[in-house]
Amino acid sequence: MPVYPVPATTDEPQLDVAADLLALLRATTTEPRPDPQLAALTLAVAADLPVLLWGEPGIGKTAALTQLADSLDLPLTTVIASVHEPSDFAGLPVVGDDPANQGVPMAPPDWAVRLVRAGRGLLFLDELSTAPPAVQAALLRVVLERRIGALSLPPGVRIVAAANPRSSAADGWELSPPLANRFVHLQWTHDHEVVVRGLAGTWPRCVLPRLDRHRLVPAVGFARRAVCGLLAARPGLVHRLPTTEARRGGAWPSPRSWEMTVRLVAFATAADTSREVLSLLVRGAVGDGPGLELLASLDRMDLPDPETLLADPGAATLPERGDLRQAVLDGVVEAVRRRPERTRWEAAWTVLAGALESGPPDLVVVPARTLAALRRDDWDVPASVDRLAGVVALSRRAAEVAAGADR
Amino acid sequence: MTPAATGTLDRDKLFTARLHAVQVRPYLATALFALHVVESRQVPTMAVDRHWRCYVSPGFVARTPVAELAGVWVHEVSHLLRDHHGRGDRVARERGLTGPGERLRMNIAADCEINDDVFGDGLARPEGVVDPAGLGLPPGELMEDYLRWFRLGPRTQDWVWLDCGSGADGREREWDLGPDGAHGLSPQERDAVRFRVAQGITGRPGSVPQGWRRWAEEAFHPPQPWRELLGAAVRSAVSVAGVGEDYTYGRPARRSSGVPGVVLPALRRRPPRVCVVIDTSGSVSDAELGSALLEVTAISRAVAGRRDLVTVLPCDAAARVVHPLCRAEDIPLLGGGGTDLRTGFARALRQAPGPDVVVVLTDGQTPWPTVRPPCRTVVGLFPRSGYDERDPDRVPDRPPDWARVVDIGPAGHR
Repeated sequence: MPVYPVPATTDEPQLDVAADLLALLRATTTEPRPDPQLAALTLAVAADLPVLLWGEPGIGKTAALTQLADSLDLPLTTVIASVHEPSDFAGLPVVGDDPANQGVPMAPPDWAVRLVRAGRGLLFLDELSTAPPAVQAALLRVVLERRIGALSLPPGVRIVAAANPRSSAADGWELSPPLANRFVHLQWTHDHEVVVRGLAGTWPRCVLPRLDRHRLVPAVGFARRAVCGLLAARPGLVHRLPTTEARRGGAWPSPRSWEMTVRLVAFATAADTSREVLSLLVRGAVGDGPGLELLASLDRMDLPDPETLLADPGAATLPERGDLRQAVLDGVVEAVRRRPERTRWEAAWTVLAGALESGPPDLVVVPARTLAALRRDDWDVPASVDRLAGVVALSRRAAEVAAGADR
Repeated sequence: MTPAATGTLDRDKLFTARLHAVQVRPYLATALFALHVVESRQVPTMAVDRHWRCYVSPGFVARTPVAELAGVWVHEVSHLLRDHHGRGDRVARERGLTGPGERLRMNIAADCEINDDVFGDGLARPEGVVDPAGLGLPPGELMEDYLRWFRLGPRTQDWVWLDCGSGADGREREWDLGPDGAHGLSPQERDAVRFRVAQGITGRPGSVPQGWRRWAEEAFHPPQPWRELLGAAVRSAVSVAGVGEDYTYGRPARRSSGVPGVVLPALRRRPPRVCVVIDTSGSVSDAELGSALLEVTAISRAVAGRRDLVTVLPCDAAARVVHPLCRAEDIPLLGGGGTDLRTGFARALRQAPGPDVVVVLTDGQTPWPTVRPPCRTVVGLFPRSGYDERDPDRVPDRPPDWARVVDIGPAGHR
């Protein structure tokens, strides 16, 4: 057991001792740890989109904002919405000498003045959900129009709001669909491991995404292609108001939120962030269903192009994941079906034979069967088909099992 | 010499089984193909981890017929699609279930959820498989429910070897490659696969079993507990600007002394009046009514703070007397026969002073008012098939757009 030095005198002021103890408690270290939700928040803030953090009280939203402000080098201003009156955001009337002629100016609160004078900063509007409706109405004007009384917030100021989920909000504030559509919604949850380690003295330090100047132009092109490609194929996704009670107050797709999505995809691409982070952002902008469809079509954009594979079947590298590999093989066969030519048909057989050598055989069965059906009378069976003999056996065996199971 | 003795994995047999599984369950193809096979001698049979790897024992493959292997494939992928590991973790946290015994129970409960309708129709049923009937439990329930209803004991003795891996119950196994191992799927990729499967199921009406259809509908929009939704709807209706409290110029604000000469609004609170209209027609059970009524009154009391401002109005074809809530115990929930909520609305709005919010609890088998009432309306809707044997073609109207509708089901899952 360690021996602690006992102070010689006992007349040291107790508050000084308390201060030492507090200093010891405050001294914590950090360790690097990837944190998708913080990375998503950073990107959305960098993209200058209003973010709404949904999270139970006391799970570290404020701590996250402090870290974000540090890493972006922005001064942090926190405004607790529930202790303010609407006039604090709309401006306080100050009566001058001749109000009838001069008018009554609406004086902004001091924090707004300081923020405007600094020209840059991170404004955190906390506890939106516990403020009375009129205060929320005034606050939303701050978020959406960036105006506080007569003041306009300069472009260097970024805004983040936080709210408690409906289930824990005492007075049940919720967003109407038009308002919900203007935010990127991020669900803020705590990670059990992080909290336990943090209380023991080590908090995570997130490596924040950095934008790469050289990738800006391709990133914009990629983002526009991704979103327009999806919406061209799925016109129904462009605008879809939430209809059920369970989806109220959350993200939903509209031209506005798709525009936000283009911006988010471009930022994520330029910063080379993970799909994990992009998934949080996209689903937070347009909702789960449309967001997942966009992500699925991004996955497909990453797949090798069937025409490239047919042009040089020997050099084909197929994705490792079975479901993606199957999508590629289906794409190759479909390309042959659309433009059947003998050389393309033979190239497709080479691709299938290659797939068989580098991965599980059952993926190849259905594409091989379809491709075989595309044969014209004057096309000879290429030599590479011999390598697919195993597939034929596999297929026959599966058919026998099916017949057996039917009996 | 069998492959088991030589110890090599018969990949052809394993993949023939997967091919068969894909052919009889085409809507699961994406998920089945996304699984990455890892040969392992430590696994008793086949097991999955939460990163969508499938660990396979060569011996198990050698001694199991292909038809049964196909069933095991579908069974294992079902654990992953239904997020049993995530749900297992959540249940463990919520109910404080710790220890390997509890995880085995979770594995058994998850197997019960899957196995009651996964086999048949082209898939052979593996021997000794867990099912609810073996435990004396009803089919068609969720893992969370089964978990409440049985303990480890003589009945589960045969299943102690059962091990579907960390993908089934959330407990890490010694053979798991972990999040950093090769060929794992990231959470986003897992969601994408589940989404593709769900899309495939909803786009294929008719040929998919009911259990999978329900899964697909709920996969990305899990049903929220109706109590919370109803509570939020009522709270929001009651506390919105203009109902409960708002700024008024009726009296000066506390800040007025600071800005002489200016009239500032002050916050005033006027408790909202809530009228609960209850459909007492024969189609709504007393238990349903009782629980919903309790819910609404608890909420409105929390918001308004005064019991005398909440009134209850039982309604069938003819609206009856309006009862104040202080006598809620005595409200005769009589009725039966047809409902006409239009009379209920009319009666509720005839009160003086009129209600700020009308909450309607009904099964929806009723005509609705054609015009929007001059107050906020929340509808708690009890689920009904809507089938009427006297008039099989009748489709009851959904509540109108101006009402906020909460579907009231059994107590919320998940």
